[in-house]
Amino acid sequence: MAKAVVMPKAGITVESCIISEWLKRVGDRVEIGDILFTYETDKALFECESTAAGVLLEIFYGGGDEVACLVPVCAVGEKGEDISALRPGPAAAHGPADTAAAAPAALPKLPQADKSGSPALGPDGAAPLKISPRAKNLAGRSGADPALASGTGPNGRVIERDVCRLLAEGPAEAAGEEKPGTVSHAPAAPAFDTFEYEEIKFSGIRRAIARSMFGSLQSMAQLTHSHSFDTTEIRRYREKLKKRGGDFAGITLGDMVLFAVSRTLLAHPDLNAHLLDGDRLRRFTSVNLGVAVDTARGLMVPTVFGADKKSLLDISREVKALAAQCREGNISPDLLRGGTFTVSNLGFLGVESFTPVINPPQTGILGLCGITQRPRETPSGLALYPAMGLSLTYDHRAVDGAPASRFMKELCEALESFTALLAL
Amino acid sequence: MPKSLHIDPAEVRAPGAISFQDIPVNVYSRSVEAERGRYSDADFLRIFRDISILREFESMLNQIKTQSVYNGVETSYPGPAHLSLGQEAAAVGQAYLLDRDDYIFGSHRSHSEILAKSLSCVEKLPDQELLDIMENFLAGTTLRAVEKLGACGSVKELAIRFVLYGALAEIFARSTGFHRGMGGSMHAFFLPFGVYPNNAIVGGSAAIAAGAALYKKCNLKPGVVVCNIGDGSIGCGPVWEALNFAAMDQFTTLWEEGKRGGMPILFNIFNNGYGMGGQTRGETMAYDMAARIGAGITPSQMYAERVDGYDPLAVADAMARKLKLLRDGDGPVLLDVITYRLSGHSTSDQNAYRSKEELDAWRAVDPLLSYREKLVKAGIAPDSRFEAILAETAERMTTICRHAADEKISPYVSFSSDPQVLERLMFSNEKAERLDAAEPSVLCKKADCPRVRQLADKARAAVTAEGKPVSKLKQFNIRDAIFEPLIDKFYTDPTLIAYGEDVRDWGGAFAVYRGLMDVLPSSRLFNSPISEAAIVGTAVGYGLCGGRAVIELMYADFIGRAGDEIFNQLSKWQAMSAGILKMPVVLRVSVGSKYGAQHSQDWTAMCAHIPGLKVVFPATPWEARGLMQSALNGTDPVVFFESQRIYDMGEMFRAGGVPKEAYEIPIGDTNRVRTGSDISILTVGAALYRAVEAAEILSREYALEAEVISLHSLVPLDYAGIIASVRKTGRVVLVSDACERGGFLSDVARNITELCFDDLDAPAVVVGARNWITPPYEFDADFFPQPGWIIDAIHQKILPIPGYTPKQSYTDAEQLRRARLGV
Repeated sequence: MAKAVVMPKAGITVESCIISEWLKRVGDRVEIGDILFTYETDKALFECESTAAGVLLEIFYGGGDEVACLVPVCAVGEKGEDISALRPGPAAAHGPADTAAAAPAALPKLPQADKSGSPALGPDGAAPLKISPRAKNLAGRSGADPALASGTGPNGRVIERDVCRLLAEGPAEAAGEEKPGTVSHAPAAPAFDTFEYEEIKFSGIRRAIARSMFGSLQSMAQLTHSHSFDTTEIRRYREKLKKRGGDFAGITLGDMVLFAVSRTLLAHPDLNAHLLDGDRLRRFTSVNLGVAVDTARGLMVPTVFGADKKSLLDISREVKALAAQCREGNISPDLLRGGTFTVSNLGFLGVESFTPVINPPQTGILGLCGITQRPRETPSGLALYPAMGLSLTYDHRAVDGAPASRFMKELCEALESFTALLAL
Repeated sequence: MPKSLHIDPAEVRAPGAISFQDIPVNVYSRSVEAERGRYSDADFLRIFRDISILREFESMLNQIKTQSVYNGVETSYPGPAHLSLGQEAAAVGQAYLLDRDDYIFGSHRSHSEILAKSLSCVEKLPDQELLDIMENFLAGTTLRAVEKLGACGSVKELAIRFVLYGALAEIFARSTGFHRGMGGSMHAFFLPFGVYPNNAIVGGSAAIAAGAALYKKCNLKPGVVVCNIGDGSIGCGPVWEALNFAAMDQFTTLWEEGKRGGMPILFNIFNNGYGMGGQTRGETMAYDMAARIGAGITPSQMYAERVDGYDPLAVADAMARKLKLLRDGDGPVLLDVITYRLSGHSTSDQNAYRSKEELDAWRAVDPLLSYREKLVKAGIAPDSRFEAILAETAERMTTICRHAADEKISPYVSFSSDPQVLERLMFSNEKAERLDAAEPSVLCKKADCPRVRQLADKARAAVTAEGKPVSKLKQFNIRDAIFEPLIDKFYTDPTLIAYGEDVRDWGGAFAVYRGLMDVLPSSRLFNSPISEAAIVGTAVGYGLCGGRAVIELMYADFIGRAGDEIFNQLSKWQAMSAGILKMPVVLRVSVGSKYGAQHSQDWTAMCAHIPGLKVVFPATPWEARGLMQSALNGTDPVVFFESQRIYDMGEMFRAGGVPKEAYEIPIGDTNRVRTGSDISILTVGAALYRAVEAAEILSREYALEAEVISLHSLVPLDYAGIIASVRKTGRVVLVSDACERGGFLSDVARNITELCFDDLDAPAVVVGARNWITPPYEFDADFFPQPGWIIDAIHQKILPIPGYTPKQSYTDAEQLRRARLGV
């Protein structure tokens, strides 16, 4: 008997995904565990394994279609079997929110049984998006896609706080994205425009980054302080660790900064916090460190949960593992959330100072810069020492300049006497 | 209730009988010969001329209405034409002795009254005065149009043309008319000749005229007031209220020396036998002869008599006797002037209710024929003279009609080129500290008033500077806040009077006026009968004559008893007169509590609905004092709502409390009493305090900060503060004690939705009282909005609050159910 393969639920908070590419075609024979197609959320790319064996009888959604999680995407069975019962209803998918022309012919309905609020569907979804004018306006101003918000207003209406939450915490579900792709344009009238160009459609991740960064800068009072510290001690310590070998050898200066941050931050709770609705601060009692990772698909920020309770070695190992998952595109979306403070390292690219952008609703982000030689007055005249730059961006709505500077001062002191910190 | 009037059981329980005087009926019988002493030949002829002018005027209207042509002038007129053809002699006889200081008020069949009174004044006034009046009226607009009629032999002829043209242009709705065309046929009048408004509401003039007489009496102004009403109006309650009000005993028993005496008013019933088609005698009335009713009003029987209105000399003779009584302080008086309407009630009248024989019989005694015949017989003038007068009248009327119909000479106001033409007339918006230069009449210095001394010691805020609550008894409360500007004004504006039920000795049912009795004579503060229509109607008359009145209806629920007076009279005369009349009247109404279904209603919506009324509802002492001051300094009618729940409230919101110095709050402002960014709560009236309580709960328990704004002004209303708040919060709930359906706040909610749509996070939600009768006080919290209701509505309709469990249902389904059932 034919079976349906459904769109997997890639994470607790993921409601729908976009099919990237079908690796099997109708008529192909598939076994359980075969990769049928790849799909993506706005944060990661995944592979879907077949949950049934037989012939791929019908594909319900093509590449680029957005499909709600747990909705059938194809039927697998034996030739001649009736699969009409497996076909999804008329409204389970919705096309890219901003390209109505690309909407799929079938618009299956999203299942929404066990949700506290109804999902907000795009304008081309069968269920109209219930959204208050104010929420719609805010979404328009901030570049947020209201279809990604969970409506908590009366009758599931998306209201202002839902868009605020979307801006602050990112989408609760992957929706409304379209398959990244390129469209080449050859100018129709060469006499008029002789330059060729190509337009790159943003991938889901790119769009999420764009929204989040734009929203961040638009909604916060961000400013950046630059400090530096003497890396002599941590470099000396690293040499020791290298000699020790194994995973110890893999501990980087960046890992040590992460460790120092995780131990310093709790004394500065306003920086280990979320600013909610512009007037409430949620201070956390543990440090969930977001670590910016550069990937081919774009910036990703996995989270080291409970970093304040983890050893330097643990942190180092975990960051490496998370970064690898990010680069491979198989990181769980649940690991891309929940950060209470973020560290971004551009030092290895020779950046001397920068203004990292806060990942909302966090209140701070620390940027690691490169090491430069700086002169220092000593009794025997000027001496050079290796200084690493640190750039702290913080939300002035939550934190004032002096406390932010005190945090940095304490952090620098901790790093300059790193072995003492290890004793704590 | 004054203690000086002793109700002696021995006296009131003693047996006896009430005896009546005979009521004279058509007793006039003097011959023309006998009248030669009173009238010159020219006078006799002028009476005829005036009758002919009145007849021609309405004949012209009749022809235009029915045939669209009059003497070759083709025009049409879509408005009403309630004609009094056949009744001219009565009007001319009445006007004969009246001068410009005597005011007449009319019914909706008053063309002849207006013209007759005006022609009488033209005859009496010197030429220069006539020229000044015409030149100054509407900045010469009407006179300029009249001058286009052509050269004129005399100032009197010019003035006659002026009167006829001004009235006709007004009827034709032209901007050159007496009220720029905004009054029309049933609201044409001319103040400079003492011609005060006629009225489209049957009997509407009775209380207004009584108020005019009150103005003359209280302000010692010369002249009398003639209230013209039809026999059909004798079935109207407000007419009886006015008769009684005008005849109150206190004018002779209690009022101070100098103001003591009867009201100078003649109630003149033009008795044409019909109220539209209903036959008054024999069908719809009980009095047999209207002259009888005076005997039901006063022991003097109002000196009532029946007069033959088909004989102008009989009417003039009666007028002479009644005017003497009035001038001697023996008013009010009453005349039952028999007349007959030869035309229909209006031009659509098929005369189905009367016979041809009846009409023919009256045509046979038409004064235009019978009076002329009498004068010819007596040798006053040859018959040809009368023909000449009729020809002259027709010729004049034809020219005037041609010009009044000509749009070039008599243009309409243009709503397309000047869309605000009528908007500007709705309120006078003037400031007038005092309306007369006379010295205000008071009994002692203001500083000697015990209540003023007591107020000086009261705390101007509900809490001390140190934040300690002040005892209720020591707080300067809303009662005091209304009292203070009022007593100040009594010492500034000599025309100010205050009256209503139980306002003097009792100090008002809710003690707002307590202490005023100590400083004011009876003529400035007096108890009225329980006659809401007369209370408001007389104030309308008092106000439009140039006085300032503050009147009180004890409970807002009694507005119904004064419906016409508030909704049709108080509200409309400023605009209907094109701004010539002002209406400096403050109508205080108190919203009750504890007294059940007929004593607890907030009827702001009704007043706010009617164009032409300013409506306020202060909820704090600061608001009450500033708004009352604005109302008392203005020239517009203000309905001043108060709430019995909060009379004893001190100032809780205003930093520094209520200033001791006088200040105005512009009517239209809003008062933000609490700031917040999560939701706006707008309130009207006493609901303010429950909204503040809800705001405190929201803040304390749900981390939501509500902004609370008191809408102390309903009309006019400047939305700026409301919009700013809603833009900020995106959420708004509107609360008042008015029944929710059709309440004023629904209107505000609609405007907010339209004006702030893009800023709203949820629809504007109105929380009002239930659409029921007000149950007994024991169930107050089940009927009127409570703090919890406000939070319930927010939770269910605007912003679901995590973990909150509502008690009241504000679900869509419940809303639909209630609407379906009409509850």
